Amino acid sequence: MSKKYDAIIIGAGVIGTPIAYELAKKGYKTLNVDKLPDAGEGSTAGSCAIVRAHYSTEDGVAFAYEGFKYWNDWENYLENVEDEKGLAKFMKTGSLLIKSQGHDWRKVKKHYDAVGVDYKEMSNEEVLKMVPVVDMHEFWPVKRPEDPSFFDDPAQMLEGALFCPEGGYVNDPALSAHNIMRAAEKYGAEFMFNAEVVDIRSQDGRVAGVTLKDGTQIDAPIVVNVGGPHSFKVNQMADGVWEGCNIKTKALRHEVMHCPSPDGYDYLNDGYHMSDGDIGCYYRPEVGNMFLIGSEDPECDPQEWVDPDEFYAGKGGPGRDNQLTDAQWKAQCYRLARRIPSLQVPNQPKGVCDLYDCSDDWIPVYDKSDLDGFYMAIGTSGNQYKNAPVVGAMMADLIDAGEKQGLDHDKTPFQFKMRYTGRVLDVGFFSRKREINYDSSFSVNG
Amino acid sequence: MKIYVCVKHVPDSAATITIRDGSRIEENITFLMNPYDEHAITEAAGLRSQLPDAEVVAVCVAGPAAENTLRSAMAMGADRSILVVADRQIDSMLTARALQAAIEADGTPHLILAGKESIDAEGMQTMFRLARYFGMPAATNAVKISLEADGAVVESEKEAGSRDILRLTLPCVIGAGRGLNTPRYPTLPDIIKARKREVKKIDLADLDVSSPGGKTEILSLAPVAENREPREIAGDAAAAARELVRILKEEAKVL
Repeated sequence: MSKKYDAIIIGAGVIGTPIAYELAKKGYKTLNVDKLPDAGEGSTAGSCAIVRAHYSTEDGVAFAYEGFKYWNDWENYLENVEDEKGLAKFMKTGSLLIKSQGHDWRKVKKHYDAVGVDYKEMSNEEVLKMVPVVDMHEFWPVKRPEDPSFFDDPAQMLEGALFCPEGGYVNDPALSAHNIMRAAEKYGAEFMFNAEVVDIRSQDGRVAGVTLKDGTQIDAPIVVNVGGPHSFKVNQMADGVWEGCNIKTKALRHEVMHCPSPDGYDYLNDGYHMSDGDIGCYYRPEVGNMFLIGSEDPECDPQEWVDPDEFYAGKGGPGRDNQLTDAQWKAQCYRLARRIPSLQVPNQPKGVCDLYDCSDDWIPVYDKSDLDGFYMAIGTSGNQYKNAPVVGAMMADLIDAGEKQGLDHDKTPFQFKMRYTGRVLDVGFFSRKREINYDSSFSVNG
Repeated sequence: MKIYVCVKHVPDSAATITIRDGSRIEENITFLMNPYDEHAITEAAGLRSQLPDAEVVAVCVAGPAAENTLRSAMAMGADRSILVVADRQIDSMLTARALQAAIEADGTPHLILAGKESIDAEGMQTMFRLARYFGMPAATNAVKISLEADGAVVESEKEAGSRDILRLTLPCVIGAGRGLNTPRYPTLPDIIKARKREVKKIDLADLDVSSPGGKTEILSLAPVAENREPREIAGDAAAAARELVRILKEEAKVL
């Protein structure tokens, strides 16, 4: 028996659920299909869920700043929906961007000014007052502990930081996706779990629906790929879609560490989110008074591109499977230990190992495709969690313009008006047909 | 005065363990210090300050890669370390004899600490065999150690809520339990200092130790098949609770 919807969304993570929510609000009958048992259980659950505004492009900054407004107003965004699991919380710690050679912070500052981001410049002394455990020496360039010069004494001092008081993180990223699912359901959106898409059917150059592993066929004239690290596999299922993308996506393995805060420092309650390009790390508080330490993908670190199915099955061996490695544990913890000399590093690695759905230039693809009715919100490259609610609104507007108003987005790129900041964003910026954007940081910083 | 701490280089309990040749663990995964030994090292570093001219020496019998574990031990407080390099797996009888020979060759122990067991083999034999070969008293699962002029008073946890308080003459062998202390993990300055400390390497063959006839061999190792499938318990809270109790009683058999 074949079921029929207006739109099928492949994936129910933090990007897939807001697309359903916004489409359902416009009256579309939507169905999200996800191979996992519940919303947000895939790579969303492994996200560090950082909410910061610094990006390498002005549009990137504007997009992220728009996202702040949604997280700040979470209950209203969800239209006060009740979720039996409770609501995710935006922990507005404030966000410190260390001025270093590892970030083009002057460019970020220019973008902050252009967009109107609330921020303050801090001296080293002011940073020390905020975070008394840090050593503001410069440790650049980023190295690995295997390199003997890693342990050299630093000579120079850093130049302070940019402090953005509205930044922070969301305490439970999987729950945030679940919250959006519950909000979408109030508008009739449906969700199907434990359902793996194995084929995308099309007819006469237009998408016709999806086929699930158990043989179930579901029809819809619109299909949206929000498959996260599986996005390239989903694109390859649809006629001509993968071939029609100039920007491709791949799954990149990524380790995030949880290291206890130094004795006597209540990082969980007193700490800030910090982006520290000088040591190639970002960090934020985590439950248990831990430092959550992410990597900003410095050039000296290996990049492991993996098959997502093998990865999640724990296959591929050390450094390629979903277990932390001792070498990367030491790299990330010891780097942070340069900044925080009193940090105590346990012997056993603890943290999260998950995948980025990484695009060629670490900027996402939010676009239509060469197959009519088939859309993509992919290539989030570890840096789009914070933007997810805005992406939902933008994708719904883009789809509506293409399907209801007959817009040819490739010829005349859709202009998305942001609800809160009122800025207009050229969605062509995220085109699959673009050339690689060399303004990008080519890292999680976007 | 010397405090020796016996440490073991074990696989990370979180690693995906694969078995090679049916009898040994693939070594390309993360190996680290046996977690109980972390308590032993932390305790030794604390006791050092109570003894005049005390020195903490970590000792390990393993392959060359165990140098990393000894570096961790030194970063956590050991002053120096000894690695007895074994090119094959050896049983607890030979390990205890190798530890004894390495310690005797190094100095006179005032106290020997170890973890109460290793998380890989879980044999709980080596520390007792070591005590036997030295002719020393032993206590295990220590949750408190007090040094006195002529002995050590050890609180040894038997089971939850029950402790023996034992008085051991010195020197003695004590197995550290989890309740003994909170491991003091190293800071980067500790790690940098440990990089410069000595790891003395002795080949097992050069120690001239042999088993007294008997030995234990591992015939085969097999990974535990993880076969966990999530199952949703449906129904209202009362029905779900009844079903959960039934599962715990009849299937899991833990009630």
